[in-house]
Amino acid sequence: MQAVRESVGVPSAVLAAGYLGFGALANGTGFPLWAALLSTASIFALPGQLAMLEMSLSGTLVTAIVITVGLTAARFLPMAVTLMPMMRSGQAGSRQPSWRLYAAAQLLAMTGWAACMRRFPDLAPPLRLAWFSGFALTNWIVCLAATLAGYGLAESLPPLVRQGLVFVGPLYFLLILTGETRTRQGIVALACGAVIGPAVHLAAPQWSVMIGGLLGGTLAWLMLRPRGAKR
Amino acid sequence: MADAAPARRQAVTVDQPGAAHLALLVIACGLATYLWRGLGVLLSGRVAANGEFFNWAACVAYAMIGGLTTRILLMPTGSLAETPLWARLVGCAIALAAYFLLGRNLLLGIAVGFLALVGALLLG
Repeated sequence: MQAVRESVGVPSAVLAAGYLGFGALANGTGFPLWAALLSTASIFALPGQLAMLEMSLSGTLVTAIVITVGLTAARFLPMAVTLMPMMRSGQAGSRQPSWRLYAAAQLLAMTGWAACMRRFPDLAPPLRLAWFSGFALTNWIVCLAATLAGYGLAESLPPLVRQGLVFVGPLYFLLILTGETRTRQGIVALACGAVIGPAVHLAAPQWSVMIGGLLGGTLAWLMLRPRGAKR
Repeated sequence: MADAAPARRQAVTVDQPGAAHLALLVIACGLATYLWRGLGVLLSGRVAANGEFFNWAACVAYAMIGGLTTRILLMPTGSLAETPLWARLVGCAIALAAYFLLGRNLLLGIAVGFLALVGALLLG
């Protein structure tokens, strides 16, 4: 319950803004409402959902869309690897059944991960899984509601406001990425992707997210590798 | 003329597989996303989270999101495509300025960016 209270507020409001934008974008591009809601429920990762929306509209091959969305979600692997051990309780006797961790993993997203990293040190290990579940489930419900609201609002609002709302989606990422990316590696990779992604788009629109990400990310990784090795 | 009837019938039958197709696509994307979450649970405690593979994966993830964001802002599709490039750039610049000058408040930055774009469209 405590977690629900902490989740409602800034974290949920920020997520809601992003998903309002996604809902509005889905409406603006003629993507059906049920599919937008299903994507929020099942993917629950805004970058992947944006990639799926954009690619399905430009008529990309289904396989390419699934691979791209899968690749944009690769960041969940290190997040889950770092978060899950903190949620397994300390004593061997009271270990959480592992299916609960697998179920909790579906709700794992950047907001919840960051909140847990901040909050878990003060929280007794047996309480952490419940805290995460309460926090992330609240986020999930807020995101579904915001998708619905964004979709509905886009329909009834004047075009000017609708365009502003659609603008919120990419704007959310622009701000969160430029402001909250702390590692040198992350910053370089973002910059490489920001240049290479649109450039690839001019040549191969259907593959730009995937090729741009692979090229830009690998380039950033190669650029920073010698520096990392020296340390 | 003979082609008209079969074509219409086809259009009707194509409609439903279209919805089923879309549902499958969305669910497949959900599974592809869950793959990493589930794999993370499986691997947690067994591998170091700071290995080179994770570094590379994180770089690719950042580059993809960075590329996608700039692409949508520079070359959007849908209703955002009807707005002029300069208005979107002005909106971004004002949003970034508000965000960084007012203590990295995400909500405030987004709200200011929204108003800046609408304002720019009204003035333009």
